[in-house]
Formats: sequence, C-alpha cells, structure tokens
Amino acid sequence: MIRLPERRKIDDPGSSGALNDLSFILIIFFIVIAGFNINKGFLLTLPDAERPRIVQTDDLVKCRIDAAGTVSIDGNALSVEKLENLLVEKKAKWPNMTFLLIIDEDCAWEHVVRVIHEVRKLRIENFSFKMDGERR
Amino acid sequence: MIDLKRRNRRPLIAMSSMSDIGFLLLIFIMLISLINQRYEEPIEYPEAKLLEKTQEKDNLEIWIEAGGAVSVEGNRVTGEQLELIIAQSLAETPGIRVHVIADKNAPYRHIDSVVKVLQKLQLRVVSFVVKEEL
Repeated sequence: MIRLPERRKIDDPGSSGALNDLSFILIIFFIVIAGFNINKGFLLTLPDAERPRIVQTDDLVKCRIDAAGTVSIDGNALSVEKLENLLVEKKAKWPNMTFLLIIDEDCAWEHVVRVIHEVRKLRIENFSFKMDGERR
Repeated sequence: MIDLKRRNRRPLIAMSSMSDIGFLLLIFIMLISLINQRYEEPIEYPEAKLLEKTQEKDNLEIWIEAGGAVSVEGNRVTGEQLELIIAQSLAETPGIRVHVIADKNAPYRHIDSVVKVLQKLQLRVVSFVVKEEL
C-alpha cells in the first residue's frame, strides 16, 4: 500500500484582516487632521482706495450698521430676515445693484459678518464696505 | 487502509505583529500632530452658515484679538510692522493669500485698520476667516 505524504495545509499566520481596519482608521485620521487647518470664510475683494467706482444712485443700496449691530436702510431699522427679503426685491429690480455697507467703528465684528453672510448668500457681486465717517 | 481522517486544526491568527503596527500608528499620529501644529491666538471666532474654502498654498494669517491687538505668527505687531511683514511676504511669495482672523467681539475699527494696510499695499482679494455654524 502506498502511503501518500500528507499534504500540509498552510495556516495563514499573517492574516491581514485587521490591517484593513487599521488602514481605514489611518485614512479617517488623515481626513480629520487635514480638515483642522483649513481656513474657511468669505473671500472679499477690497475696494480700491485710490480709484473710487462711480455708481448710479439708483443702483446703490446704502446699509448702515450701528455700534449695537442694528442694521438700517434709509434710516429704517431692519432685522436680518427683513434685510434679506428687501435685498431679494432690490436685486430683482436692479440686477446691477451695489450694496454699500457703512459700519460704525464700535460695531462688533460678528454683526458685520452676519450682514456679509446675507450678501454672499444672495450672490450680490457688487459689494463694498467702509467705516462710518470715512470718505471713499 | 489509508487513514483519510483529517485533523481538525484550529485556525491561528498571529497577533504578534499587531503591536508593531500599533506602535507605528502611534509614531505616525505623533509626527502628523507635530507637523500640523498651527499657531492660534485665543479668539472667539464669528460664525456663519454659508462659507467657502479660502485656504491657498501660501497663506499669511493676521490675527485680531477682541482688545484690538494684531499679531502675525505669534508676534504682536503695529500698523507699520504689519505693513512691512505683508510687503515682505508679497515680495517673497507673490500669490500669497492673506487671512484676517478677527475675534467676533472685536470692534470694527481694528479690522478697518488692517484693511487699510492691505488696501495701501494694493492687496485686493482677502480672506475673512469665519467658523462654520453648526
């Protein structure tokens, strides 16, 4: 009787099952860390101080923001929601509308950011801002 | 007769290399954390919902604290020093992106003083950094 040599089944000692999990953890870690150092915000084009733009008065919307953060147009105080509605109406009427934000020197930056956010949301291209009391 | 009965071997998973991988991971995380270290001023970020990514390859961050202190790369600067730093950065890297990172409670006059310097240097496109509102 022939005795066949027993074929040894190779055990898989280097199982790579856990390595998949590890590599995924590594990828997640990479993505999270990469997101930490990225600045986000508003990319604004600063007005040219030397060459002021001439805008038709009809196309100009002057918005003031006082020290307390109250937004007003033509002396009428508005909430941010009302400002949004008003700007939607004005933009529909005058597509080339220029929005000029006049900011009180003591106004907190967060109030200004609130208004800039609305302007960006409504995609108003012609946007300018200056501090109250200065000439531009 | 041939003995065809197979031995039931229990599968073996070698776990000895896992500790090595674990250590490598640890070293990797530590290194990445060191590389990714970023200078931050203690400010409260203003928040907004609709934001865009403003990061560029080369960036210069100008920090404005609530009290009006302006700093660049950890150094407090005056208006003249800021102008010099920006001018030097622009000369070295023409496409540098300037980020203004101001505290949400900072009065606008402090931001305006930085904006004036940027305007003076004909730097037109500026990023105003805001945190995403959740």
